[in-house]
Amino acid sequence: MDFPILTLMIFIPFLGMILILLLKREQESAARFLAALFSFIPLVLSFILLARYDGSTSGLQFVEKYEWIPSLGITYFLGADGLSVPMLFLTALLCFVSVIYSFGDIKERVRQYFAFLLLLEVGMMGVFAALDFFLFYIFWEIVLVPMYFLIGIWGHGRKEYSAIKFFLYTLFGSLFMLVGILALYFTVEPHTLNMMVLIEKAPELARGFQLLAFVAFYIAFAVKVPIFPFHTWLPDAHVDAPTAVSVILAGILLKMGTYGFLRISYPMFPEGAIYFALPIGILALINIVYGALVCMAQKDLKKMIAYSSVSHMGYCMLGMAAITVTGISGCVFQMVSHGLITGALFLLVGVLYERAHTREISAFGGLWIKVPVYSGIMMLFCLGSLGLPGLSGFVSEFMVFVGAFPVFNVIVPLAVIGVVLTAAYFLRMIQAMFLGTFNTKWEGLTEISGREIFTVIPLAILMVGIGVYPSPLTNMIKATIENIVHLVTG
Amino acid sequence: MMVSSSAYLILSATIFTIGVLGFLVRRNVLVMFMSIELMLNAVNLAFVALSRQLGSLDGQVVVFLVMTVAAAEAAVGLAIIICLFRNKKSVNVDDFNLMKW
Amino acid sequence: MTYQLLLPQIFLFLWAILIFIIDFVRKEKKHNLAYVALLGIVITTVLVLTSQKGELFGGMFQADSFSAYFNLIFLLTGFLTIASSVEFTQRLPSNKGEYFGLILLSMVGMMFLASAGDLLTLYVSLELTTIPLFVLASYRKDEFKSTEAGLKYLILGGISSALLLFGISLIYGLTGTTFLTEVRTTLIVRFLSTGNVGPALVLGFIFMIAGFGFKLALVPFHMWVPDVYEGAPTPITAFLSVASKATGIAAFLRVFFHAFLIFQVDWVMLMAVLAALAMIIGNIIALLQTNIKRMLAYSSIAQIGYILLGVVAASSRGVSSVAFYTFVYLFANMGAFITAIAFSHKTGSDEIKDYAGLSRRSPALAAMMAVFMLSLVGIPPLAGFMGKYYLFSAAIEQRYIWLVVIAILTSVISLYYYLNVVRQMYFQTSTEESPILMGAALKTALLICVIGVLLLGIYPNIFLNFANQAAMVFHY
Repeated sequence: MDFPILTLMIFIPFLGMILILLLKREQESAARFLAALFSFIPLVLSFILLARYDGSTSGLQFVEKYEWIPSLGITYFLGADGLSVPMLFLTALLCFVSVIYSFGDIKERVRQYFAFLLLLEVGMMGVFAALDFFLFYIFWEIVLVPMYFLIGIWGHGRKEYSAIKFFLYTLFGSLFMLVGILALYFTVEPHTLNMMVLIEKAPELARGFQLLAFVAFYIAFAVKVPIFPFHTWLPDAHVDAPTAVSVILAGILLKMGTYGFLRISYPMFPEGAIYFALPIGILALINIVYGALVCMAQKDLKKMIAYSSVSHMGYCMLGMAAITVTGISGCVFQMVSHGLITGALFLLVGVLYERAHTREISAFGGLWIKVPVYSGIMMLFCLGSLGLPGLSGFVSEFMVFVGAFPVFNVIVPLAVIGVVLTAAYFLRMIQAMFLGTFNTKWEGLTEISGREIFTVIPLAILMVGIGVYPSPLTNMIKATIENIVHLVTG
Repeated sequence: MMVSSSAYLILSATIFTIGVLGFLVRRNVLVMFMSIELMLNAVNLAFVALSRQLGSLDGQVVVFLVMTVAAAEAAVGLAIIICLFRNKKSVNVDDFNLMKW
Repeated sequence: MTYQLLLPQIFLFLWAILIFIIDFVRKEKKHNLAYVALLGIVITTVLVLTSQKGELFGGMFQADSFSAYFNLIFLLTGFLTIASSVEFTQRLPSNKGEYFGLILLSMVGMMFLASAGDLLTLYVSLELTTIPLFVLASYRKDEFKSTEAGLKYLILGGISSALLLFGISLIYGLTGTTFLTEVRTTLIVRFLSTGNVGPALVLGFIFMIAGFGFKLALVPFHMWVPDVYEGAPTPITAFLSVASKATGIAAFLRVFFHAFLIFQVDWVMLMAVLAALAMIIGNIIALLQTNIKRMLAYSSIAQIGYILLGVVAASSRGVSSVAFYTFVYLFANMGAFITAIAFSHKTGSDEIKDYAGLSRRSPALAAMMAVFMLSLVGIPPLAGFMGKYYLFSAAIEQRYIWLVVIAILTSVISLYYYLNVVRQMYFQTSTEESPILMGAALKTALLICVIGVLLLGIYPNIFLNFANQAAMVFHY
């Protein structure tokens, strides 16, 4: 493989960022155009990636490896397998969608905004492609900086508080990962930061070390996912962030946590994964039920969707904790499906907020009459989120339950309560906002625009596509997941 | 009559302690400054005593250098104190608290 | 002739004298002496880079890769300080020229100190370093704050050298020599024959650590730092916070790693505790600061805690990481101070809240300040991260996990106050719209710092190799 596709996917947005910063302050439309262009190229590349990826093996593909800092054993090592390819695609797609969506609602400091957005894309792409621990950590942390600025400058409400809270929480978590990385580096002989080699050497690690390291990495990833009780940054950040940033937060950033578990924690510390399976399962259950219960109580639409993420990421963790092929497949499915659905829901909330300047659920009523197209799309995604058969949410939740039931035969039935609650709060929301009598206050409400529809259509197509015909995705991830399960359970 | 070198060392330690105490207790800058000189001289005494005990001249060389350096330090120190006095008309450290310690 | 080894020091010393002479002869435009001083530093740098390795006066003076490494740190800091002082000296009512000569003299002291192979050389060069700094700290002699800073620095400098000397006298009494190599061998012989070295040595360690502690602003000895940093002219504060600290580190490494490494059980734990205290107290008090100079003062107290992680590791990797981090710290900290200098020239303020809206007024300056702040926190891919990664790795290699965990938790705390500056610059708005204008010298200095922060973060190989060589001077 001579064509450095992963490097290009990571650094083309970076090039775009530099170009945008070179523009003059007034050249706002040029900044928009450049941002769209430089987030579209990675999307095209990600299609190439999907097309050329060979799902029949669990081996690495598109590998790029160069010496970087030899005296510290650091290499520039990229590669993709069944776990990273869907994530890279999702990142490219959601970033492009976010850029297009931001054309409308970002009117101040446009140049800076798109520069930060592209830097964010660099970090996320890098996380999903890096296979050297040092490189992985760098990208992991790079993500925090633009996120901090995006929330703090262009957010709403208590934006500064939310921005710093996000930064502090995630930095706290990731520094534990740093200790873990260093401890691992010095434990394995010969010292290496190459994740693939470390995975091979995993059986040599002492049990006590594996448990400790698992906990250190768990803290880092759990903050990102987020897993109860590390979740409190999420509603603040989601609610106060500008729409496009919420989309990326929910769609991709949270997946960095689950991706980290599957890429690092499980294969590298199998003893830890097995030992802590039950606690992780219980915490996942808490996420599911607690998240759903909090959603029931929300009056703010965006906050409700933010908490629904907590609940939905719980399914991910439940499937993962089971360590069965079906369970982990369900987890990966849920990562993709939640990215699509929640991303779209945040976009749609943004669409409404831009017009109505409120997100109070009870302030609306009977919108179906006034804005049928918007209401239809919104309801479609709500149904997807609550797990209607035929849409992607159902497939992933079903797989998670089937995969986890043999292992957790008490937790899974309890988790089904979460599904019922999810249905309850979404249906209640639909009823309150779109059905019933029309609230005449919204007489002037305009229909969703063509550009906004353009942003949600690809997400809708994929949601329905995966829901109806999941096998392309299954085939892509199957070999990799079987390998992970094999590594953990032996 | 020979006085053992440990006597000198004890004297030196005592003077050093007096210097430290003076520095901590007194509030007059000049006195604090003198306390520091006292500490330096205590060290000088120790060096001379040790030099004699060990029969090596290194210690006496140190003393000369310390004395020179202390003189330089005193010159600069007094100049700064004069500047301060011009600004504030006081040599009491309690008056020098424009910034909290 | 082997006296060539002294060439950089001798040249810089003569250059300083030359500056005093020109200052005496010329009548006006004396601030242009800055460029003369910069030229001298550049030439000295070339001399350092081309000089040979060796020792003089029976080992009193060591010219090795360790001294070369630290000499470069001192020279670069001096260069940045002088470049950022042009406008400051322009505004001085008098004594514009001596200012640069004094900085060069102090640098000569530092360069001798990095080469010290003897406790006496060490003491004298330490004094040569600090005495000009007393003068420089109180340079605005008409301003009460500045003279107060000078006095406080002087008094605590005096105390610290007295403590250091007392420690030296104990070591001398035990071993009968002040040569570090001889101290080491004598102590080993005594240890092998009697099985222990007695409490006097430990007492010597404690006094010397206290002496160095003042120079390094270690936590129980840090009280003078915020006041001196706030009161002194900002370029001098920058110089103090970097060069003077690097001097302390170089001296500490020379003494403790040259002579006392084998007795590390007696002092490493003490250093570990001091490191933890520095990180905790420095970072927590920094949270409360509203003045940028005071904030950076407490942050520098905390940064020393991180540097000590490498000292505590007491390994080749540890020394190498300390040396590397010193360079990292140089760029980020100098950069932050130079930004503060530029800002206060224009606005006359050092208050963090006055930085509000800087990203609109001067986008480039604000962006650079943000880079320096993030580097001080240790966010990749900036130099601060690379440096902390290296330090943490050295500490973890020696199983100081608890210390690294403290370092991590305090890093999270530090994020809050460093980002407070960023928050003001980017999230707040101000009515003031005029940009912050800077002279060419100041711009160059800032640019060097930014490039340094990025280079050391992304491609540090050259510096790492150099730091590794410096670390090989000691026997572990």
